[in-house]
Amino acid sequence: MRKDLRLELRSGESMLTLVFLSLLILTVLTFALNAPAGDAATAAGALWVAMILAGTMGAARALIAEWENGCIRALLLSPAERAAIYCAKLVASFVFMALAELAAMVLMVLFFNLDFGIRLVRLGPVLAMGALGFAALATLLATIQVRIRAGELLLPLLIVPVFTPALIAGVKASNAALAGLPFDAFAQWLKILAACDILFLAAGYLLFEYVISED
Amino acid sequence: MNHPIETRDVGKTFGLSPVLRGVTLKVAQGEGAIIVGHNGSGKSTLVRILAGLSSVSSGEAMLFGQPARKLQAHDRQRLGLITHQSFLYPRLTARENLEFYAELYRLDHSATNVSELLERIGLGPVADQPVCTFSRGMEQRLTLARATIAAPDVLLMDEPFAALDVDGVELAMGLIEEALGRGSAIVITAHEAFQLGRLTFTSYALVRGRLHPTPSRLKTEEATERSAAAG
Repeated sequence: MRKDLRLELRSGESMLTLVFLSLLILTVLTFALNAPAGDAATAAGALWVAMILAGTMGAARALIAEWENGCIRALLLSPAERAAIYCAKLVASFVFMALAELAAMVLMVLFFNLDFGIRLVRLGPVLAMGALGFAALATLLATIQVRIRAGELLLPLLIVPVFTPALIAGVKASNAALAGLPFDAFAQWLKILAACDILFLAAGYLLFEYVISED
Repeated sequence: MNHPIETRDVGKTFGLSPVLRGVTLKVAQGEGAIIVGHNGSGKSTLVRILAGLSSVSSGEAMLFGQPARKLQAHDRQRLGLITHQSFLYPRLTARENLEFYAELYRLDHSATNVSELLERIGLGPVADQPVCTFSRGMEQRLTLARATIAAPDVLLMDEPFAALDVDGVELAMGLIEEALGRGSAIVITAHEAFQLGRLTFTSYALVRGRLHPTPSRLKTEEATERSAAAG
C-alpha cells in the first residue's frame, strides 16, 4: 500500500481526476438545479453524484499501475496472499476516495451555501462508509475491467446497478445528516449502508482470487 | 535426485493451434537447462506454464513437486522469474523497486543490501532515478536484480540476455553462476545457445512445440535443423 500511495503522490493522477471531476459535477449541478441556499437534499444528491462518477473514473487507477510492465504477475508469484493484495488495493482506493470526498465536501458546502458545523461532522461517517463500500466493489470490478478488452465500458455498467442500494442509503443518510434530522432517521440508513459495505467487502475478499488469476 | 522443475508430456493449445506438444523436461537442483528456439516456437509459453502463470492443455507442470498453478506461498518465495515484461514500476526509482520486492519477499533489511546490489548491476549512479527514464538494457539489468534478490531455488529466465550489452551479459552470467552454485535449478530460453559459453547447461531445441535434446554450444539454426531431422 505504501508503494501505491508513493506512486499516487508522484503522479497525482487519481486524486486530480477525482477532485476535478467532482468540481465539474458540482459546478454543473449547482447552476443546473438552481437550488436555494442551504438545500440539504440537493447538496447531498450532488455530492453523491460527484462521488460515484469520480470514483468510477478513478477506481481503476491504482490497479492500472499494476498492469504496467506486468507487475501484477510479480505480485501473483510473490509469497503475498491474494487476499492481502486485495486489501492493499482496497485501502489505497479508499484513501484516494476519502481525500477526494473531503475536497468535494468542502466544495459542496461552498457551492450550496451550507454552514461548516456539526452537521458536516455527522456527514463524515456516511461518506467514509460510502467510500469504503464503493472502494471494495470498485477494486473487485476494476480488476475485471483492466483484464479485458473494452473493459472501460464494463465498470460503470456493473458498478452502478450493484452499488445502487448503498447509493440510496448514502444519499438518504447524507440528507438526514445535513438537514439535522433526528438520529433515528439518520441511523436507519446508516445501517443499510453498513450492511452493503459488509457484503461488498466479503464479496471482494472472497472473489478477488478468482478474478485476478490468469487463464 | 530432487527435480524442482519437472514437466510431463505438457501440451498447450491456443484455440485450435498447438503451441507445445508433449514437452517433458526435468531439471535437478544445481543444474540448468537452456531451451533455444525461433520466435513463436513456444519458449515463452513454456516459461509461463512453468511459473504457473498459464495453464496446460494436457500433461503436468510441476515446481517443487507441486502443480505449478497451485504453488503455496512458501514455494512462491523460492521462485524467480524473468519474462519479456520487467515487472518494474516505471514511476518508482530503481532503489524503490528493489526495496519493494525485498519487502514483498519478506527479506531481512539488514541482510539485503539494496545499495550494494545496485552498485553490482552497474546502476548505482542512477539508483534514485525513475525506471521510466532507463534504457531497455538498464531496465533488463534491474530485472535481473529483481528476479534474483530473494536467492530463489528455481530461476526461470525467458531471454535474460535481451537488450544487454557485453558487460550486461557478463553480469547476467555471474548471477546465473551464483545461483547454480547455491543449488538453484535454472531454465533459460534464448535464440542462441552459444550465449551461455562458459556455463554447463543441458541444451534443448524447441521446434514446432516439441522439445529435443541437442548438443550444447550450437546456434539455433544448427540445433533446430538437427532436431527437426532427428524428430
